[in-house]
Amino acid sequence: MNLLKKLGKVRWLSSLVFLIILFTITGLINPTFFSYSNIISAFNSSVVFTLLAVGISFVIMTGEIDVSIGSTMGLAAAIAGTIAQRGGSIMEMMLYAVILGMAVGIVNGIGVAIIKVPSLIFTLGIMGIVRGLVYVYSGGRTVENFAGDFTNMGSMTLFANITIYYAVVIAVVFAAHFWLTRTRSGKNFIAVGDNIGGATLIGIPVTWTKILAYVLSSIFAAVAGVAFASKYGQVNIVAGTGYEMSAIAACVLGGVSLSGGLGSALGAAIGAVIMSAISRLLVFIGLSSDFDNTIKGVMLLTIVVVDAVMYTRSVENARRARLAARASGSSEVKEGGGNEE
Amino acid sequence: MKSDFKQNIKKMVTRWEFILFMVLVAEFVIFGAVNFEKFMRLPSIFSSINNYISICIISLFVTFVMITGGIDIQASSIVGLTSIIIGVLWSDAGLNIWVAVLLAIVTAGLAGALSGFLVAYCNVQPMVVTLGGSFLFSGLALLVSGLSETPAYKGISGFPAKSETGEFIAFRALGKFKLFDVIPAQVLIYAALIVLCYWLLHKSKYGRKVFLVGVNRNAAEYSGINARWIIMSTYILTGVGAAIAGVLLTANVDSAKYNLGSTFTLSIITAVVLGGTLSTGGKGNIIGTALAAIVICILRYGLPLCFGVSTQNLDLPIGVMLVLVVSVRELAYNPRISSFFRNAIKAKR
Repeated sequence: MNLLKKLGKVRWLSSLVFLIILFTITGLINPTFFSYSNIISAFNSSVVFTLLAVGISFVIMTGEIDVSIGSTMGLAAAIAGTIAQRGGSIMEMMLYAVILGMAVGIVNGIGVAIIKVPSLIFTLGIMGIVRGLVYVYSGGRTVENFAGDFTNMGSMTLFANITIYYAVVIAVVFAAHFWLTRTRSGKNFIAVGDNIGGATLIGIPVTWTKILAYVLSSIFAAVAGVAFASKYGQVNIVAGTGYEMSAIAACVLGGVSLSGGLGSALGAAIGAVIMSAISRLLVFIGLSSDFDNTIKGVMLLTIVVVDAVMYTRSVENARRARLAARASGSSEVKEGGGNEE
Repeated sequence: MKSDFKQNIKKMVTRWEFILFMVLVAEFVIFGAVNFEKFMRLPSIFSSINNYISICIISLFVTFVMITGGIDIQASSIVGLTSIIIGVLWSDAGLNIWVAVLLAIVTAGLAGALSGFLVAYCNVQPMVVTLGGSFLFSGLALLVSGLSETPAYKGISGFPAKSETGEFIAFRALGKFKLFDVIPAQVLIYAALIVLCYWLLHKSKYGRKVFLVGVNRNAAEYSGINARWIIMSTYILTGVGAAIAGVLLTANVDSAKYNLGSTFTLSIITAVVLGGTLSTGGKGNIIGTALAAIVICILRYGLPLCFGVSTQNLDLPIGVMLVLVVSVRELAYNPRISSFFRNAIKAKR
């Protein structure tokens, strides 16, 4: 009972259970799936999505949205690609990625938090601009023929088949999770998304928090771009188109509420694993990859509907309990109230 | 009397649709000045609008959704679903083409109804529902295309086109017919849809309800409006609108493909927002949306023709326009800034 209660409260835990159920079903249909390397590679291949989803979860937690991350990822990937062509180091790519991410994030943050344009619309415009810059930067050509071992880095393993990339990403995810749930500055994101008026009244720097969320989201997206270039070995001008939607879907699957104030970085990371594992699982189940989007859509809709229905019911129950307590007299209200606490 | 006239002029000039109209005129003047002969040819202007007619049509209907405070990012996936259903029903199931079209439109309406139901009756956020819907319907389109003997990447073609006399009378007339040999059928249908939507939103009872639900859903419910049904109906309308766009697109390119229209989403939202519809609901205008969609079309048509901008790189100017327009509008409505300017003008006097 206690465990069940915790499942309802800690949203990333229910996403984890969902992931385990998915893996179990796949394993029951096709037992060859149950091998260490298969399961670990499902995690390893989610690097790009995890970075995108965790990045955007900062913005979504504050109650806003950022659809420019796909373009930002594409531009960072193109820049990383040209650096790789002349044999530059990965640290150099990271440096440029972080600078690019900060620039895009600050513009987004100013537009949404200071000028107060609705976030979907402002980041939509920035998305178009950054996508155009990808074209201008690469001259409309695909960036490919990377020098050195840049494309091999994605498959280098640290220990027990875990790639270096995924190990770094996992470390970042746990750091972000710790920061968001245990520190004062990290909790600001949830506070702003939950109740912006209340957050302002108790002295949380709302504008600054939102700008920071956008900067983090864009930096994560740009770093994802470096991983993208390394993974695929070539970057065309439409690289990353539509990734923002998958990242948002991953957040939703991971229990991050799009109305803000609910969710965690760990949840977003688990959602990203689910999103990127689906097509792999379909292969094991024996369905063609044509079912990919249908399954994703059904899954997403089912989860959000169940979530919403449960939420509505809990609100309704709380209201009923309150009304019942009020009806049965004031002396019992205190007792009842005490019991419920 | 005079001040009244002045006030009216001022009201008109500060109206958003008027500004959009001036932008449209400015586009014609600038593009015309740079390259008059190429730009000012009616057939080529119309053929360019052909390419974007889906965006124009769908944005009209998404305006309804946005006024109720929702958003619809699934419409573009319904375009592909409609197209492939027509193709499969006609070529593989052997149905009459018009029956196939009708069934496809009904399916699209049902697709909209599903999302509308989840938004209105289950209280899920519209953004999430239609995101899930966009995955679901594009996925279904791919599955339906798997039923056909034609490989998915090829697209089903060879729709009934010409009668014995050699004129476009059958299904493809929707894509190829030209009134007076100039105005294509799509533009005529678009014009009719603008009139229909204008009447529906601004002149009918239904439109008043849509606005009221957007302004204050609770107040609307207390005053006896079935707010849930109104919200759901806007999504059905958008589904049907997307289906109409899908039919026209299929007829024009003579190819039924599952991924037609998959890249439209952001242009649709851009058109609706640029048209002055508030994404928080309660405010919006069909004429504004129509003008904004045409502004975007002309920009996409004129920039490559007159300034040699690559057609692959039209996102950049449209993004700049969107960001500038919404930022300036937001700043102008900001009470602190507008009062600052008012005081500055007063001080000057």
